[in-house]
Amino acid sequence: MRMGVAIVACSAGWLLLGQPTSAHHAFAAEFDINKPITLAGTLTAWEMINPHSWFHVEVEGPDGEPVTWMIEGGSPNQLIRMGVTKNSVPIGSELVIEGYLARDGTNKAVGRDITFPDGTRLFIGGSAPGAGGDRR
Amino acid sequence: MNKRPRMTLGRAMALLACGLPVLAAGQTPSRIAAAGDYTPPRTAYGHPDLQGFWTNATYTPLERPDDVAEAFYTPEELAARLARAAANESAQTEPGTVPDVHYDFTQFGLDRSQSTFVQDLRTSLIVAPEDGKIPPMTAEGEQRNAARAEAQRRLGERWDSAQANQLDDRCLIMRGSGPPMMDAGYNANYQIVQTPQHVMILVEMIHDVRLIPLDGRAQPHANVRQWMGTSRGRWDGDTLVVETTNFNGKNPFRGSSEHMRVIERFTRVADDEIMYSFTIDDPATWTRPWTAELPMKATFGPLFEHACHEGNYGLYNTLVGARLEEARAAAEAEQGEQN
Amino acid sequence: MRSWPQSLMILLVVLACGVAVGSHEARGQAAPYRAPRTSDGHPDLNGIWQAIGSAHWNIEPHAAAPGLVTELGASIAVPPGAGVVDGGAIPYRPEALAARQANYADRLNLDPEIKCYLPGVPRATYMPFPFQIVQSPQHIMLVHEYAGAVRTIYMDNHMEAPADSWMGWSNGHFEGETLVVDSTGFNDKTWFDRAGNFHSAALHVVERFTPRSADTLMYEVTIEDPNVFTRPWTMSMPLYRRVEPNAEILEFRCVEFVEDLIYGDLAKQPD
Repeated sequence: MRMGVAIVACSAGWLLLGQPTSAHHAFAAEFDINKPITLAGTLTAWEMINPHSWFHVEVEGPDGEPVTWMIEGGSPNQLIRMGVTKNSVPIGSELVIEGYLARDGTNKAVGRDITFPDGTRLFIGGSAPGAGGDRR
Repeated sequence: MNKRPRMTLGRAMALLACGLPVLAAGQTPSRIAAAGDYTPPRTAYGHPDLQGFWTNATYTPLERPDDVAEAFYTPEELAARLARAAANESAQTEPGTVPDVHYDFTQFGLDRSQSTFVQDLRTSLIVAPEDGKIPPMTAEGEQRNAARAEAQRRLGERWDSAQANQLDDRCLIMRGSGPPMMDAGYNANYQIVQTPQHVMILVEMIHDVRLIPLDGRAQPHANVRQWMGTSRGRWDGDTLVVETTNFNGKNPFRGSSEHMRVIERFTRVADDEIMYSFTIDDPATWTRPWTAELPMKATFGPLFEHACHEGNYGLYNTLVGARLEEARAAAEAEQGEQN
Repeated sequence: MRSWPQSLMILLVVLACGVAVGSHEARGQAAPYRAPRTSDGHPDLNGIWQAIGSAHWNIEPHAAAPGLVTELGASIAVPPGAGVVDGGAIPYRPEALAARQANYADRLNLDPEIKCYLPGVPRATYMPFPFQIVQSPQHIMLVHEYAGAVRTIYMDNHMEAPADSWMGWSNGHFEGETLVVDSTGFNDKTWFDRAGNFHSAALHVVERFTPRSADTLMYEVTIEDPNVFTRPWTMSMPLYRRVEPNAEILEFRCVEFVEDLIYGDLAKQPD
C-alpha cells in the first residue's frame, strides 16, 4: 500500500475535455457546416478502418432509385476492445443519420449521430451489440 | 435542431463521486516514491515485467493552469474545478458550429471518459521546474519556431495541399508516439513486449513501434535521424531508463530542436500502473531541462491495426472538395462578369 | 612397391575415413538443427531477419525485364528469379488469371507498395527490408522496417479476426522446432509482389518458421483463397539473420515520400 496520493482508475463519464480541436477543424474543411442533412437507409457495409470508419448506406434517391451514401464515423478500435466485430451491425440494418454534407459534391456525409429508426443510438447508449461501455 | 446535450451538471456531479483520490487526515501528497512497498513481477529471465496493455489517457494538462499555484489539488478543489467546467457546458455541441461537424466521440467509445484514464490530484504533468511550466525558451528556440510557423503559414490552409495539414491528419505521426509519449486524445493505448535484449513498445496510433535495445550499444551516427529518434535502454534497479536522440526535427515537441535528448523512466509501481516520466534536455531550445510524470494505467487489448494513411479518405475528400468549390466560385464569377 | 602391411594400413585408413564420412553424413541427416531456447522452452526466433532474392518483384519464375521508369534505367529494371512458388506457377482460376494480367499491365497505378500502403502477408516477409522478431510467451511481434508495418502473433487466447485489416489477424503456436502462424482477416487490397499477384478477402495464410541454422530460418507459406485459386499452394525461401553488430530496424516512414504522388494533383495551384 503506497503512502500518499491514491491514484485511481475511473471510468466515470466526465466531461469531454481536450479533444483535439484541430480534428474538428479538419472535419469542417471536409464537410459543409451550412448543409446539415438527415438520411435514412439500409446498411450495405461498415468499413471498420482508421483513421475513421465509413458506413455505406443505401438510401432511396429523389427518383426512387437506391443511392449509396458513405457516412464517416469514428475509429472502430475501442469498439473492437468492447467486443464489436464486423458482424455486430448486420447488413441490412436500418439506420438514421444526422450529419453534414461533404463539400466534394458526392453522396458523402459525416455522421454526427447515427441511430436506429426507434431512436436508440448505434453502439454506445443504444441497443446494438457491444454497447454499454468499457469491458474489463 | 435542438442543442445536443453531452453532459448535464447533475450527471457530472453524480459521476464525480466515483473514485476520487482520497487522502487520509494529515497525509500530504507525494510524488511516487522511488522505493515503494511494491515489488514488480519479473520475467523468467529476471527483468522487471512491464508487459501488457497500458493507457496514458489523462485530463491533467502538461503545464499548470495560470490560476493555480499548488502542485496538487485537494480532492475538494478538484471536484469544484470539474463541476465548474461541467456547468460551463463546454462539452455540448451547437448545431451549425464547427465542433458539431464531427462524428460523436461517445458513440464510438472514444471520449476520454469512456475508457480507463489516469486520475490524480496533480495540477500539471510537469514536476520540474517547480512552477509546473515549461522553462523559458532560448533566443535560438524562439527564432527557429517563428521561422517554422512562418514556413507553415506560407503553405496555406489545410485544404490547399496535403503538406499544409497537421502531421496527424497526414497520417505521419501522432502525439502518442513521441518520444515523449503523450496522451493521444483517444486510442491512447500501448502494448509492451519484452525480451532479454529488447523492450518493444507498440503505440496504437499509427501502429508505431519503438524497439529499445538493452545491450548498451551506442547511438547511431548523427546522419541517422528519425521521427521518433533512436532509443537506447538499460535497467537501473527496477526502472527502465531510455535515452533517445537522433530526432529529425520534423515533429517538434513543444518547439524542440532535432538535438533534443529525451530521458524516459518506466517503473512499475502497482499491478495496474507504470509510472512514466520524461526529461527533456534541449539546450538549443530551453534554458534548462524539464521533467514531467505521466502515469500509465493497465488497460486491455487488442490494439487493432491502425492503418491510417491507407484509409485517409478524409484528406483526399477535403482537397477534392476545396478544388471543386474554387472551380464553382470561379465559374460563377465568370458568369457574373458576362452578365 | 609397397609391402602388404603398408597397403593394408592404407586400406584401413581409407575405410576408416569412409566410415567417418558416412557417419558424419548420417548424423547430419538424422539430427536437424536445434535452436537455442527462450526462457519458456521454445525455439528462440528473436533477431533481425531478411529475405534475399527477387520474390518481391515476382514470386513466380521470371526473366529479367526493363523497369517502368525509363530515366532510372538499369537501377529499376527487374532482376531474374527462379521463383519461390512451389511448382512454379500460381494455380489461378481462369478469370483470376486474367485479373492478374490486368494488374500487371497497370501495376504503375495499382501496386499498393508504390503508395506506401501496408504490404500484407506474406509480402511483408520478403520485402527488401529487414524485420525484427520480438518473441515473448504470449505475443510474438513481427516489426518491419518497410512502412513500419507490424504484426501481432497471438500465442494464446486465439480469437477470430474482429474485422479485416491490411496485415491480417495471426494466431500462432509451436510444433516442435517450428513456429506455425495461422492468419485470416485480410482485406483484399494487398498484392503478393510487384507483378500483380493478388488475393481476395478470403485469404488464409499458414506460415511455418523453422530455424535451420544459427543464422537462417526456413520460411514456408501455404496460401488458400478459393475465390482466386483452384487449390492451396505453397512458397518457400530461407530467411537470413542480419549478423552485423548493432543491426537495427530503422524508420522507413514512406508516407511522406508519396504525398505528392497521391495528393499533388489535388493541391491548390498558385495564382
